[in-house]
Amino acid sequence: MSVKILIIVPAFNEGANIERTLREILAQPVPVKVLVINDGSVDGTAEIAERVGAKVVNLPFNLGIGGAVQAGYRYAFENDFDVAVQVDGDGQHDPVYLAQLIAPVLQGEAQMCVGSRFLEHKEGFQSSYVRRVGIGFFHFLIRVLTGLKVTDPTSGFRACGRKLIEFFAHYYPLDFPEPEAIVVVRRMGAKVVEVPVKMRARKAGKSSIGKLKSVYYMVKVTLAILLHMIKDRKAYK
Amino acid sequence: MTKLSLLTLVLSLSIFLFVIELVRREKLTFKYAFVWLLFSFIGMVFALFPGIPYFLAGRLGFELPSNFIFFSLLGMFVFLSLFLTVFLCQQNRRNDRMAQKIGLLELEIKEMKSSMKGR
Repeated sequence: MSVKILIIVPAFNEGANIERTLREILAQPVPVKVLVINDGSVDGTAEIAERVGAKVVNLPFNLGIGGAVQAGYRYAFENDFDVAVQVDGDGQHDPVYLAQLIAPVLQGEAQMCVGSRFLEHKEGFQSSYVRRVGIGFFHFLIRVLTGLKVTDPTSGFRACGRKLIEFFAHYYPLDFPEPEAIVVVRRMGAKVVEVPVKMRARKAGKSSIGKLKSVYYMVKVTLAILLHMIKDRKAYK
Repeated sequence: MTKLSLLTLVLSLSIFLFVIELVRREKLTFKYAFVWLLFSFIGMVFALFPGIPYFLAGRLGFELPSNFIFFSLLGMFVFLSLFLTVFLCQQNRRNDRMAQKIGLLELEIKEMKSSMKGR
């Protein structure tokens, strides 16, 4: 029996990027199903995605990245997928790395595999200086708190196995999902590894976090992570 | 009975009766009405027996009983707004879950329809 792999693509008004992202995913040699979570877009993101051949879940209103990604995990859980991979709809994540990202999960080496732009080849899009400092800080924070070494904790390019698909279908952090999810699954005893990937600057549109907000964002994420450390594990279920 | 006590009594009693009326008309469920009933009941007790707030104010070190009343009211509102925030979060979570489910069900319906057409 072959493995069922689902690519979850959260997209909010990504009409300018979504087609290319989806075509690149479908061009990969790995057989996958692509599910676009249209998070209340008003620019035809859904129509484009359907035309290219992806399944589309239309959320009735904007839930934010956490709520959108969780809808994908719920789909993966209900439809019995073995692996779920998150790929942002904005084209930052290069689907060329799909196979590498999935491999550790398929081989049972880890339950979650994160694509890191800072591991090994420091090329490709490395983000702005402010953000790199932020990411470096989260790397340090998560390492001190959980002992886990994740060089790119804000990367939304990641693959999860069955156990975490089920877990995320029931609980997914909504505020700052990328770094929080790592801390949460680590607390639940899951193994997390990283593989090197190259990222690209987004082609069109703008990112959801502005430069000025970065510092404020860092403080909030730090607080959220610290609160996770004292949360009752039962609350996640 | 002083004018102040009478005013407090009328206000507390109105709130109390109004909340009961809201519950009667199913505009408020018991869970959320209870806090209001409790606080307005305390208000009525204080109005009918002014000795109680005077006594409590003295024991808790308030210079004036009115300060004690203000403090209590403020405390009540802090508690109430925290209670409402919890409620809000819960509703928010349920709302998100429902939105996800609606999206997933829509996709499922669409696929079922097209597979039926194909047959």
